[in-house]
Amino acid sequence: MDHDASSSLSPLPPHVGRIVVAMSGGVDSSVAAALLHAQGLDVVGVTLHLWDASGASKVGRCCAPEDRDDARRVCDHLGIPHYVVDERALFRERVVDPFVAAYAEGTTPAPCVACNQHVKLTRLVALADAFGATHVATGHYARIEYDSTARPRLLRGCDAEKDQSYFLYGAPTSVLARLMFPLGALTKDQTRAEGRRLSVPNADKPDSQELCFVPDGDVGNFVETQGGSPRTGRIIDESGAEIGRHAGVHRFTVGQRRGLGLAGGAPARYVLRIVRDTGDVVVGADDALGARTFRARDVAWTVEAPTSPFEGLVRVRHRHLPAAARITPIEGGFEASFDVPQRALTPGQAAVIYRGEEVVGGGTIV
Amino acid sequence: MGPESRIYLDHHASTPLSGGVLEAMHAAEPDAWANASSAHGAGRRARAHLDGARRTIAESVGAEPPDIVLTSGGTEAICTAILGAFAPSDVPAHIVTSAIEHPAVSESIARLASRGARVTTLPVPDGVPPDADAFAAALRPDTVLVAVQWVNHETGVVLPVATYADVCRARGVPLVVDAAQAVGKLPVSVAALGVSALAWSASKLGGPHGAGAVWLARSRAHWPVLAGGGQERGRRPGTPDVRAAVGFGAASRALPERLAAMPRIAGFRDRLEAGLRARGAIVNGVPVGGARVATVTHVAFEGLRGDVLVAALDLEGLCVSSGAACSSGLAAPSPGLRAMYPDALWRAEGALRFSLGPETTDAEVDAALSALDRVLVRLGRATMQPR
Repeated sequence: MDHDASSSLSPLPPHVGRIVVAMSGGVDSSVAAALLHAQGLDVVGVTLHLWDASGASKVGRCCAPEDRDDARRVCDHLGIPHYVVDERALFRERVVDPFVAAYAEGTTPAPCVACNQHVKLTRLVALADAFGATHVATGHYARIEYDSTARPRLLRGCDAEKDQSYFLYGAPTSVLARLMFPLGALTKDQTRAEGRRLSVPNADKPDSQELCFVPDGDVGNFVETQGGSPRTGRIIDESGAEIGRHAGVHRFTVGQRRGLGLAGGAPARYVLRIVRDTGDVVVGADDALGARTFRARDVAWTVEAPTSPFEGLVRVRHRHLPAAARITPIEGGFEASFDVPQRALTPGQAAVIYRGEEVVGGGTIV
Repeated sequence: MGPESRIYLDHHASTPLSGGVLEAMHAAEPDAWANASSAHGAGRRARAHLDGARRTIAESVGAEPPDIVLTSGGTEAICTAILGAFAPSDVPAHIVTSAIEHPAVSESIARLASRGARVTTLPVPDGVPPDADAFAAALRPDTVLVAVQWVNHETGVVLPVATYADVCRARGVPLVVDAAQAVGKLPVSVAALGVSALAWSASKLGGPHGAGAVWLARSRAHWPVLAGGGQERGRRPGTPDVRAAVGFGAASRALPERLAAMPRIAGFRDRLEAGLRARGAIVNGVPVGGARVATVTHVAFEGLRGDVLVAALDLEGLCVSSGAACSSGLAAPSPGLRAMYPDALWRAEGALRFSLGPETTDAEVDAALSALDRVLVRLGRATMQPR
């Protein structure tokens, strides 16, 4: 646990045979497939059909028929097989239903983590088995490298802006050993440049931004239409005084400032926490959002599970700058204590522990 | 895996062109571009090709050419037969169909149901089609149409349409038969059958896509489904595709050879099916003592997914189908299979359809089983030792 992740690493997985590439129809996975194919590797494209997208938005939506068409077009361009595999039932069970339930009880879930952990990576590895493939490649901006004992290690992507290692901590070693991230050393601009160099048909397709299954970004409306029954309640200040009412806890997240429905005026007020038992939303000043400690559950380790406290860097949301903390393993989870208070520790979000570049594990903030 | 080593066992989805079909289409090409309804010489030459094709197609099912309406394919032929039986504003009272129909039938009837028609759907438990009594019991005094398939597209089970036709005739109810998987696999004589309409497709019998036909009884009132001109004696608007019709005609001319190959194909199918059973497959929809066509075996592997097997087998150079969705490339468990086995969803989810044709060889049967072995080994399933 305490040696430097960047030493004695090999950049290529051993014994690469056929590779299943997960293709969403977007630029990243298309270029990932093209890069592997350009190396003369035996590449098979797979699009997991996870959700039936709706709405008119052309951007930020995934799993639409047009995206499957794009993936197919890229595979035709490369001259590789392409299959669509229906995982809508699993996606609903493991991602969408828990997402709706989490919002309805006032937390802010991390569905991309759940999707990678319980749907995408596990199903892709199973498909690789069926297809006689040794590896699964995705367009994630993260890296897999191997230490001197041939143990795979999950590392941050080189592009700090695009790094997606945060979403991948749930992959067990047996899955990591099958994964390849061809874009891990690239920036997004380099990916697009590679796409143009390799004449990938969709190299200039816009990036997706929102959650793939909530293309318009209106999570509150989504939770309501998917049958969530969130608690309504009071908006209170830190003294417990009611200063307003709200129509559902799912429309709030810790650190939120807009949409509180409160009269204006200084100082600005932010959501500090959501009280699960009462449905109360507690608001207060910005400086009350800082906290040093939190507890996490549903922990997964990409290394041998630690048993004693250790120092690491902890990222509490995507794009959060990992901050130094002391991590103490506890039954079923861990506790983290930051050196410096961090803003808006949000129940439901993933807390991911890094040691240098390496992801060592993570869990769900309680 | 190069195309030369590819094994094609998906003849129920689409057949390779029969010998002479492509040549006939090429031969007609210089004339086929013209509008067969035109009064001038170019139109007449196209018309001559179309009339010749229609004669051959009619003869192949024992029909008179004027009773044949040429369509864009099997789906349009079926829609013409079912939807065309009613005026657009008409609300049919009661319709009878089966639970294992192709979507062209079931969705046409769903459309009539949305207009207010009541529908009785005959169950087909374990793939056993209704017998004459069960069929007759579904007919009501206000039944205005029955629509059933002759041969199930998935399992190959033959429905007793001649028996159904007798019942319908006695009760004065029009019977529409979807014969898409029957023509080219069974001897079909529409004159002897005595139905109201019979629809089929070129691309299931060695002809090209874009060509279908529906035979319509002269006594039957008919409303064209599309709005347009008076082509096909006012029964199907639109300029006919002469080139596709010529291909359909050539394939129809070759039907005797295709039918003669059926005993040989049945032998290959039986050997393939025995091999599949030996590898743990359960055969779907083959009732004890029931009739089925020679060309197909439909199986399921419990605990495996048909769509994944189809992809894995494709990577081994074997083209089969999961017997599922027609067009989307997505696998939704087949409604027909679910209706046959309502308590065993795996028989639909794990379904694999192997369908053979006159081009199928003994060696391909062996190679198909070898490809399956390679996939089953990866999935941790027991396989047969080499013979």
